[in-house]
Amino acid sequence: MILDSYEAYRATGFRPKVCILGSGPAGTTIARKLGAAGIPVVVLEAGSREFSDESQDFYRGTTVGDFYFDLDITRLRYMGGSSNHWAGWCRVLDKQDFEPKSWAPDTGWPIRRADIEPYLPEVHDILELPDFRPDMPISDDIRWVQLIKSPAVRFGEKYADELDRSKNIAVVLNTYATELAGDGKRVTSARLWSNGQDAGTFSADYFIVCTGGLENSRLLLWSNQRSNGGVVPNAAALGRYWMEHPTFEGGNAILANYSEFEVDAVNEAFFSPTMAAMERLQIMNFGIRLIETPYAGVKRLIADLACTAPDAAEWAAYQLSQNLRCAAQLYVAWEQAPLASNQIELSKTDVDHAGVPRIELHWKKSELERRTLVEGLKLFGTTLIERDLGRVRLMDWIANGEAYPTNEETAGHHHMGGTRMGTDVTRSVVDANCKVHGMDNLYVGGSSVFCTSGQANPTTTITALACRLGDHLSKVVAV
Amino acid sequence: MSFFHRMSRRTLVRAMIALPALSLARKLPDANATDTGLPQADPNEIVEVNGWILKRSDLA
Repeated sequence: MILDSYEAYRATGFRPKVCILGSGPAGTTIARKLGAAGIPVVVLEAGSREFSDESQDFYRGTTVGDFYFDLDITRLRYMGGSSNHWAGWCRVLDKQDFEPKSWAPDTGWPIRRADIEPYLPEVHDILELPDFRPDMPISDDIRWVQLIKSPAVRFGEKYADELDRSKNIAVVLNTYATELAGDGKRVTSARLWSNGQDAGTFSADYFIVCTGGLENSRLLLWSNQRSNGGVVPNAAALGRYWMEHPTFEGGNAILANYSEFEVDAVNEAFFSPTMAAMERLQIMNFGIRLIETPYAGVKRLIADLACTAPDAAEWAAYQLSQNLRCAAQLYVAWEQAPLASNQIELSKTDVDHAGVPRIELHWKKSELERRTLVEGLKLFGTTLIERDLGRVRLMDWIANGEAYPTNEETAGHHHMGGTRMGTDVTRSVVDANCKVHGMDNLYVGGSSVFCTSGQANPTTTITALACRLGDHLSKVVAV
Repeated sequence: MSFFHRMSRRTLVRAMIALPALSLARKLPDANATDTGLPQADPNEIVEVNGWILKRSDLA
């Protein structure tokens, strides 16, 4: 059932065992898994079925460090969460993304990719994906990888009818927890806010926090502060190791055979480094996306090449005469090194309408990431030469070592880390089963548990982890 | 009588005009030679010029 207020929910007499906070991809997926296992679950969704300025205002915050999007623009607060503005790009993190890297501290997950692979058929159903083809190496250094554009599933729309019909799931709109209370072992209650006012306290056997890659940290930081450490007893890493996918136009390429890489339905090609290349160059993962350059841009590019390498320009002009589509813009998105200093803090001066401190996000790209961008593009350019596939030109700001531009894409709106998974309680918040260290009944779902970001958009991995957590909880809660 | 006094003025002028062209007759190093003692540029070497990632032979 779906209800519009906590008051309406209370009138039903529904008695859940599990309370899920948030109805985005993670929250909805976990709820469906638990519901299918016959476990009664309530999903508290802060927003309503549609976008509203009033709801969105709760997401305002500030950023310190590098330029970043306004925090009330980069996510959505209504049923289905940020899937409502998701572009639909899908790919699970690479196997190598789960492995520790000696040149990048605090990398490595307590699980491996094989631990989530059994859930991929389910993920394909949820996100409506065809099968992925295997990565194809085009050299020892570069892999041609596949990202599939799903129909951009809006979880709130796709599953509204199913959730409404479910006897085991109650979705309560316009209602959320402003804080959890805990005694250092268990969450004992949640203070609720519904339709613009305090709605009292609420209890359940288990709480699953799925409010998003920024909000999960905010809720737990505030709850922990209010409970004197009773919600996240080991809080050294809480809010820390936050990551994004920095994204910029990195250059252009002239290609001998553009159509060679246009086999996917989206007609866009992606390239990533091999683990051996990452290790040799001591860089992070990255994805170079080819987007076709318009004809006028190709001519300008060839004219530019003629000033430097006339023979090569003659070759390029020949390619243009054979095929008008012979050049691409290179968009680069890369993996951020997990740094404790990139963190979510609670504002000391600004609170929302419910009195909860807003987010102060500290975010800065590192030297390692700059090297990843530069060396990654050079590696791609070298590979094109060695395979006789084309030539690459770097953007001036990259070739000249200038600052990042502020008028470009900047990042992927991918919010990862803050409640990362791990075994060391000083460097992580949840264990391999997404349970908060030291707590018996508190779990976290979503990309905030990511230890590393890889280069792939996070929704596919979020959904796979949610399927895994749903299965795990089904067994734990049923006991 | 010196050597120059035995040459006519006309012969001397012709010789001076022809002098710069004599360098053409010098033996120049063979572009393909490998025993010159100087390091040879690898035409497949990857170079970065004006932001372009190229191989050296592209610059010809």
